[in-house]
Amino acid sequence: MTPTIRHAVVVGGLAVWLGATGWVVVARQPGTANVQDPAVAFQGDVHQQNGVTCATCHGAGTPGPVDRTKIAALCASCHSDPAFMRKYRPQVRTDQHAQYLTSVHGQQMSKGETRVATCSDCHKAHGVLPVRDARSPVAPANVAATCATCHADADRMTAFSRDPAVFDDWSHSVHADALLERGDTSAPTCSTCHGSHGATPPGIDSVANVCSTCHVREAELYRASTKRAAFEAMDMPACLTCHSNHKIVHPNDGWIDFKEPALCATCHATDTPGAPVIRTMRSGFDQLNASFHEAEAVLTRAEEAGMLVDDGMTALRDAQERRVRLRVLVHSFAEEPFTASLTEGLAATTRAQAAGEAALEELSFRRRGLALATLAILGFLLTLGIKIRSLPKP
Amino acid sequence: MSIRTWLAERLPIDAVQAAIDHKTVPLHRHSFWYYLGGMTLFFFGVQVATGILLLLYYRPSSAEAYDSVQFIMTRVPFGWLIRSLHSWSANLMVAAAFIHLFSVLYLKAYRKPREFTWLSGMVLLFITMGFGFTGYLLPWNELAFFATRVGTDIPGAIPVVGDAIVTFLRGGPDVTGATLTRFFGIHVAVLPAITTVVLGLHLLLVQYHGMSVPPSIEDEAARIGRPVRVMPFVPHFALRDLFGWMVALALLAGLSAYLPWELGRKADLFAAAPAGIRPEWYFLWTFQALKLVPGHVLGLEGELVAISVLSLGALGILLLPFLDPNTTRSRRVVNWLASAALLFMAVMTIWAYWGGE
Repeated sequence: MTPTIRHAVVVGGLAVWLGATGWVVVARQPGTANVQDPAVAFQGDVHQQNGVTCATCHGAGTPGPVDRTKIAALCASCHSDPAFMRKYRPQVRTDQHAQYLTSVHGQQMSKGETRVATCSDCHKAHGVLPVRDARSPVAPANVAATCATCHADADRMTAFSRDPAVFDDWSHSVHADALLERGDTSAPTCSTCHGSHGATPPGIDSVANVCSTCHVREAELYRASTKRAAFEAMDMPACLTCHSNHKIVHPNDGWIDFKEPALCATCHATDTPGAPVIRTMRSGFDQLNASFHEAEAVLTRAEEAGMLVDDGMTALRDAQERRVRLRVLVHSFAEEPFTASLTEGLAATTRAQAAGEAALEELSFRRRGLALATLAILGFLLTLGIKIRSLPKP
Repeated sequence: MSIRTWLAERLPIDAVQAAIDHKTVPLHRHSFWYYLGGMTLFFFGVQVATGILLLLYYRPSSAEAYDSVQFIMTRVPFGWLIRSLHSWSANLMVAAAFIHLFSVLYLKAYRKPREFTWLSGMVLLFITMGFGFTGYLLPWNELAFFATRVGTDIPGAIPVVGDAIVTFLRGGPDVTGATLTRFFGIHVAVLPAITTVVLGLHLLLVQYHGMSVPPSIEDEAARIGRPVRVMPFVPHFALRDLFGWMVALALLAGLSAYLPWELGRKADLFAAAPAGIRPEWYFLWTFQALKLVPGHVLGLEGELVAISVLSLGALGILLLPFLDPNTTRSRRVVNWLASAALLFMAVMTIWAYWGGE
């Protein structure tokens, strides 16, 4: 054997050994095991911890895979039995299977369509973790990625005439930002709007109800507005008309205008009904934003100069609250509540601006005072210096 | 009968006048350092005056302290100036006291018969640092709260009595409103009372012994066979002293107007310690040195070893007049030790500021 071949054999052998070792290590890690190693995956499973064995689901004898169409019913044999489930958690819900049967997934599965989701697709078959466990695929931060396993699969979704871009859209939304970037687990993910076990797309009529679960005040204003009847007459999907469904981006004041890309401009022109309201809101936001930034700049300047401007900052926070409230009041699509709140917001920015200007005036007064005091001290020092020099030499 | 004659019959005015007329101050190339003691005294005077004014509005409780200082800074006419003067003057006073200490050390002014002048001066320096430590907490802001927690934790490393000292300092197991009340009492009553006595003694001894002439100047005078030149205390020295005080006043006014002392955020006992917690600059070198000491040194707890070394150093410097035999060699050794200590303090302070995070 030549040295080159010997070298190649040694390196190759080493690579094979490393690969095999790595595979064993990875395969033995809980949560990374695949379906080919269910016994390993089952270690740490919430069922295993509560005394459930392979035979409980697979029956005695040689375990084989459970028929996909029967998985939900198999899980329900325990999870839909309140008396049984109470032994583990007194307040655990037992309506999941009933809900599943009403979902699009459940209905399709009942028809024998096995490509739709069942319990084990979202919760895993072996290695099931409680929802409150952050590693669980159905923990709030992981739900969207779990749904995306199927719903972002273009081939699979095309077969069901579904849009495979929904996950990508949601990923760019203000909701995804809140949930994934800021870690706000109360921010909506797929199951928040569509339901989890009873997952189904909300219909046009119920969209506002879904959004109003969190956006209570906006929904209240919308329902009381003239816009509701107009949207319903035109078969427009309430909130989604302006905000879209999955790719809900952060709203901005520029949406209210007659020029593209403003949202109002999609339907309204300067001479259509509702134009005066748009004009009022546009100029209101312009006024408030300008006075807010002006007050903020003055306060920042005073603060950076070492002045305490707590009163001004409190007024500015108040103005910011009014600004947020004003953005909510847009959903009234009317001038009246908007202008009243605008007046309050402008009053707050005026207070903030006045506090900042007073601080800057005080600063200027201090510096003038310092200049005078320094002059007086310098004059005294000069006199003292002359006196010292005039003293007889020791 | 003139008022002066009337007073002279009742008070020792003539004797005081005679003493002033005869009092002289040595005049040589190191005379500049004589003004540092007076400068420290000037800053102390500013502290007393501004401290009394702050007392009119300050409220020493954890619920009200921060708000009362904020009130002083924003609502009380010239309150911002008084508080800034107090804070800046405190720092300049510590700086002046340290410079005074090292100038006395280098000029060997602690030699016989001025041992007690040195001792009283050292006690005044420790009291000054005590003023700084207790005063730092009084605004009850975040930085001061956590720095005090760290600072009062240090004596806990002392065996047997450590925990008792910590409890005594804090008024309980942790820094709370009880600590604030305690520090306030120490800051405005205990330390001023002790200072009055020790400062009186220090000034009396300075007057009694007069200014010390450095050995090098004495040797030079002996070599050329002429006595060391002197200047009258009044008006020559007194006017120069006043000149220095006025410069210090202008500096204080400038600092207070252009760099008003910040208040920071209100202390929250339940919040996590923010980043960048550090004590006042004059404690920084100790803080950094303690941070650098390993957990265990020669089988002993590292912090205990560091505290012991620092305490021994403080004791050594306190008893320096009795340890230094005042020979040419011993003077050189003292100079080297003083320079090494200065270098160590400077390096540790710089390290804590720019590299100690």
